[in-house]
Amino acid sequence: MATNERERAVLSLKGVTKRIGGKTIVEGLGFELFPGEIVGLLGPNGAGKTTTIRMIVGLIGMTEGDISIGGHSIRSEFTKAIRHVGGIIENPEFYPYMTGLDNLKQYRRMTDGITDERFQEVIRLVGLEDALNKRVKAYSLGMRQRLGIAQALLHKPSLLILDEPTNGLDPAGIREMRDYLKEIASKEGIAILISSHLLSEIEQICGRVVVIQNGKLVTVRDIGEQQNKAERSQIEVVVRATPLTVARQALDRLDMVQVTRVFEERNELLLSLKDEDIPLVVKALGEHDAALYRIEEAKSTLEEEFLKWTGGNRIA
Amino acid sequence: MLNHGSGFGKLVVNEWLKLSKKRSFFIAFLIMAGFVALLAYLTTIAPSGETYTALRFAAECMEIRGLGSIMLYIVIISTSGIVAREHSMGTIKFLMIRAHGRSRILASKYVVALLYMLALAVFTLAVTLAAGWVVFGFGASEVSWADLFLQALYTLVYMFVYTTFVFMIGVLTRSAGATIGIGMFAVVLQSILNMVLSRYAFAKYLLFTNTDLSVYATNTAPIKGMTLTFSVIILSVYVILFLAASFVTFKRRDIA
Ligand SMILES: Nc1ncnc2c1ncn2[C@@H]1O[C@H](COP(=O)(O)OP(=O)(O)OP(=O)(O)O)[C@@H](O)[C@H]1O
Ligand SMILES: [Mg+2]
Repeated sequence: MATNERERAVLSLKGVTKRIGGKTIVEGLGFELFPGEIVGLLGPNGAGKTTTIRMIVGLIGMTEGDISIGGHSIRSEFTKAIRHVGGIIENPEFYPYMTGLDNLKQYRRMTDGITDERFQEVIRLVGLEDALNKRVKAYSLGMRQRLGIAQALLHKPSLLILDEPTNGLDPAGIREMRDYLKEIASKEGIAILISSHLLSEIEQICGRVVVIQNGKLVTVRDIGEQQNKAERSQIEVVVRATPLTVARQALDRLDMVQVTRVFEERNELLLSLKDEDIPLVVKALGEHDAALYRIEEAKSTLEEEFLKWTGGNRIA
Repeated sequence: MLNHGSGFGKLVVNEWLKLSKKRSFFIAFLIMAGFVALLAYLTTIAPSGETYTALRFAAECMEIRGLGSIMLYIVIISTSGIVAREHSMGTIKFLMIRAHGRSRILASKYVVALLYMLALAVFTLAVTLAAGWVVFGFGASEVSWADLFLQALYTLVYMFVYTTFVFMIGVLTRSAGATIGIGMFAVVLQSILNMVLSRYAFAKYLLFTNTDLSVYATNTAPIKGMTLTFSVIILSVYVILFLAASFVTFKRRDIA
């Protein structure tokens, strides 16, 4: 089972370490990506995300460890490993004096077997039909970003690596991009690694996050639906009821409900309990003549979790 | 070469397009044409009393002291950015994450630097012949076609060595500006150093003293004991060193 899992991994990092001039930038980093998975790479500024991504695509070497893509080591079998990778690393940069089309053709020539059909499909997909004959010099950041995505997708990669991909995209563009990434991940089984500071963005698109700080792995977590399922047993809800003291006494009497926090100024209680016990809460409040205004689930956002994981001293 | 491995030829096409799609591309050729026209005009008004033919005019133009060094300056300026600008523009990132080894990418760039040099030289040769034909005609001449091509060949060797040197500087410095500066400086330094250093025996092992092979056509070795074979060997050694330094550096480098 374990070896099978390993073999299935599109991307796997093992003990990856990068030292530059005695300074350790990434240390003993290890994680894996499987087909069809969208994973967020998170961390505060300077955590080592871009450095990690540069190592994955072979732009910089690693001091220790190894990275394999589709079973091929990026160190010893570079061309085989990189063949199935598409990526944008930091800002997408193009030849400014050439048109978008000419730029894209450059990358088309670098991989065999990109059909006209595929070429047109990618152009349509990133919505650049109208701008393609303009020189890239005249492109906005969002347009360059789209062209960057186009060059990453041309050769139908099985691993897509995106460093800040939505940087500069307008809300419609971000949404299109999100929908598209989800689609290619689920339909074509492409694994996608995204580094971003927009945690709400990550939250909407990723099934899993890898959090790093100071070059070290902090945690790997499932988020989204998978997380809900896993934590279904115990949930947190906020109850607003008056008088608060009465409500509290009533709820304290229930064994299966724990009052974890009290917000007096808002007349709210934070409860930890099982889903099926919620009717008991309503009943208890009614019996003690506490007026109930609302019950809502207290979902902690990825942002809050992120600040917890990274100590919250620095903003992502 | 074109069919071996997947698409080295296509890499060369890419590099050529990157060079030729610049607006400044044709200016280089225009400048050369301008110089040829100027030389043709100056030759007609010069009261030398000598008779010129198209071949003689072309051969003199193609000398290193004729248009050779001007061509070289243009090649230096035009090819300085082949590697350096990829770094400064950041385009190197997309270039290096394709299924081509770094050596292959660099080799395609080097090939295009040489192709550009060749294109400029062939163009200049054609223009000098055309201008010479219009102005002087193809009369009987003591300069033969063979002499002309040999002259062009000497100049090509000279340009080839410096183009390789400049290519290496581009890889090492990653700055087009620095590459142009160092390249130009080296070319200018050559003429000065040759005069100063010709007294010393060790100077025959320097690059500068060996780049002009045309001296052997008139049997005047710059330093005693130097022969055509000797110079060719020395030049080859330098070219190999320049290329080794370029490829080793480029292969190992972290791309930030
Ligand atoms: N070439 C280098 N030499 C020395 N230090 C470097 C080099 N490249 C990066 N660093 C350092 O490594 C650390 C990680 O940088 P990196 O760019 O990977 O961070 P990041 O997680 O991408 O940050 P951001 O969120 O700001 O994009 C930083 O402290 C940076 O200063
Ligand atoms: Mg970064």
